[in-house]
Amino acid sequence: MTNADHILRLSGISKSFGEKVALKHVDLDVRRGEVHVICGENGAGKSTLMNILAGIHQPTAGTLILNGREVVISDPIEASRLGIGMVHQHFALVPSMSVSENVFLGRNLRKWGVFADKAAMVARTRELIARYNFRLDPEATVGTLSVGQRQRVEILKALAFNAELLILDEPTAVLTPPEVDELIGVIAGLREMGRTILFITHKLREVKAVSDRVTVIRHGESVATHETGSVSEADIARDMVGRNVFLVGRGNEQARRPFGPTVLKLSNVSMTDSAGRLLLKNISLEVRAGEILGIAGVDGNGQTELSEAIAGLREIQAGFIELGGRTITEASVPERQSAGMGFVPEDRLDRGLSKTMSVAENLAVSNYRRAGLKRGGYVDQDRLEAFAAEKIREYDIRGAVPESPVSTLSGGNMQKVVIARELYRDPDLLVVCQPTRGVDVGASEFIYARIMAAADRGRAVLLISSELSEIFALSDRIGVMYSGQLLRIIERKDADEVIVGALMNGSLEAAA
Amino acid sequence: MTAARFKNSVRAMYAPIASILLTLALGFLLVMAITDDPLQAYRDLLFANFDSLGSFALFLNRATPLTLIALGVIFSFRAGIFNVGGEGQLYAGAIAATVIGVTFAGLPAIVLLPLALMGGILAGAFLGWVPGVLKVRLAVDEVVTTLMLNIIVLLFTSYLSNQVIRDTKSYGAVSEMVPEKIWLPALPGVPGATSGIVVAVLLAFATWVVLFRTVWGAQLRASGTNLRFANAVGIPADQRIIVAMLIAGGLGGLAGVLYVLGIGHRFEQNFSPEYGLVGLTCALLARIHPIGALATAIFYAMMINGSAYMQISTDVPRSLVDLLTGLLVLLMTARLATPKTRS
Repeated sequence: MTNADHILRLSGISKSFGEKVALKHVDLDVRRGEVHVICGENGAGKSTLMNILAGIHQPTAGTLILNGREVVISDPIEASRLGIGMVHQHFALVPSMSVSENVFLGRNLRKWGVFADKAAMVARTRELIARYNFRLDPEATVGTLSVGQRQRVEILKALAFNAELLILDEPTAVLTPPEVDELIGVIAGLREMGRTILFITHKLREVKAVSDRVTVIRHGESVATHETGSVSEADIARDMVGRNVFLVGRGNEQARRPFGPTVLKLSNVSMTDSAGRLLLKNISLEVRAGEILGIAGVDGNGQTELSEAIAGLREIQAGFIELGGRTITEASVPERQSAGMGFVPEDRLDRGLSKTMSVAENLAVSNYRRAGLKRGGYVDQDRLEAFAAEKIREYDIRGAVPESPVSTLSGGNMQKVVIARELYRDPDLLVVCQPTRGVDVGASEFIYARIMAAADRGRAVLLISSELSEIFALSDRIGVMYSGQLLRIIERKDADEVIVGALMNGSLEAAA
Repeated sequence: MTAARFKNSVRAMYAPIASILLTLALGFLLVMAITDDPLQAYRDLLFANFDSLGSFALFLNRATPLTLIALGVIFSFRAGIFNVGGEGQLYAGAIAATVIGVTFAGLPAIVLLPLALMGGILAGAFLGWVPGVLKVRLAVDEVVTTLMLNIIVLLFTSYLSNQVIRDTKSYGAVSEMVPEKIWLPALPGVPGATSGIVVAVLLAFATWVVLFRTVWGAQLRASGTNLRFANAVGIPADQRIIVAMLIAGGLGGLAGVLYVLGIGHRFEQNFSPEYGLVGLTCALLARIHPIGALATAIFYAMMINGSAYMQISTDVPRSLVDLLTGLLVLLMTARLATPKTRS
């Protein structure tokens, strides 16, 4: 294969943000006229890679070869000049303007060099729409269009300026299933006209549906590139999730002691968003004392909503939640806390911590009374400091002093702060989400040990993770979520990666 | 207090002091270009305030409202609310105290004084409460609401002082005097200076204690720094935010009350030389730390008051203060940004 067949070649692309390494030596080659999918879990580095191609970020190392020439994409304007068109996940459209005005926004066709030539823009847009068979009205106001139609306007924007290489960043994330089908048709049409398309997604079904080839990215590294026809969804899933060595876990052979009574019970829990889309569909589950129930699934299939429903941060529209035999469906967060709930949210910086507040204050925030840190309304500074120092020792929170802001800690140590705080109450139920995301191996082991110790003390643990190795290492039973449903709960001893992987793709038959 | 904690408190003072010194140094270069006697100009700008008790009193009278408004801003900012309504809250407090004082002039001082005080504080608090509730319940942008309320209050007080409680025997749009029995005593030893400054200083320390030494303050700061976190750990964040706005408005209102009772003794239309805005600046320069804000408010009062003397004795215009303000803001924000670029 000669260079001429490649429109784009990346070699050894690395990118770090401060100490955080987002991409490590990523290689990618894209053939002219193909639909190439970049596939990976959330946080794997897909979007960073695309932002490098779009000129938004500059790589720390590595070379970019476009049409056989090494290029530096200094900014988005340069990217567009080089024939790279980007369609972002979040659209950049002006709702009050028409389709044609949006297409030519900032690049108005002009009459006499001064006035915006509306007629010419409409005509040119109509021509583009016809050529690509887009089914859009060039004079419609963008605000009145559906999400799928708006996305086509975005694609049109890129095409209007002769983008050879079109990048679609998670284009299906915002679409309904029929819109996805339509988009897949649009993409096929574009390929026939000789455009090259880079399509980013973490949904396996789409990979098979649209692509010629697929490159999998995991933890910032390009793992493999396959001809899509020659691999199964399960193969891709394995590449995405990785067959990491299992960290020390509970193992799969242990004869489990009988579990205690049911601690957490969900009956037919359903949740819809404001637009009426179903986020959780009839979820029922039970977690018993001493048991770890693992919930696996590709990110974005309702796990976040499930955890927030249990923690009391989102309302559910149907069903009941019981904790220790008491109904807590309507209970506030503090009420759930005193009923015995601990909650480790999936994103520590989003819900787990206040970055600018001190380590001590983050540890104490929901424990002032229980830990005896207050006298009247006042905080006893000496006790607060002693409490924090003790937790720092106990959880080996490295580099932490009680007064230092949490933002000075590394990801793993931040996570330990969250875990230490939530476990301080020794809750009957621990809901723990993505406990080791972005956490180094040492800290992960420590966190696993704490979670298992809680279960061994007879606490119920609901573990939500998209890291299969973690689910397998810790769980007594494994449930899989797919598009808002809890597909099946299997005993750990009956589960293997093939079954769980298939369930993660939503294929019940394969798992049967 | 351990050494580490003491160091933290001192560190809060570094930023404003270093920036102030640098600003003055740069400003001095400028003054050198304008006048033959830059030393005289600078001496007047900073130290003319201490030449006579009268000048010193004027300086204290400016520092009082600035400090109180800055403290209010700190409460709201710590709760995550960008409250720019200091000016309106100040005017609301001033007009409420005046109306009460004038209307119920017959009541004995022991009743009237607390009544005027509470009335002014509540009027300010109300102005804080409205944007607070709108923000929490309906997610209405507080910058818009507080700014708009400023205008409403300014125009409304202007109407009242011109049409309703105007002292027709005086020149200008001023209200009748509040009865002398509820005037605040002058600061002992400094005739003409309001004893309100004592209140302001005490409240600066009280603010520090509330924000940094109580569970309530910790919850307030948690709500302000990361609302989603506060919700997840079970802090009643909405309530904290609304109460913070009540306090913020109340402090602005108190600034107005103390102005009327201690300095002006009546409501004067446009009595504030943008105290609301300058108080906001003071709070931001002190990185929304109450003790730091006391320092920046005092510094600002010194400059604003001193510039008048400077203009009289040298040919440096008093608008130099605006320039120095700009420089100071520039330097402070530059300082704030450095940790970001490093990360």
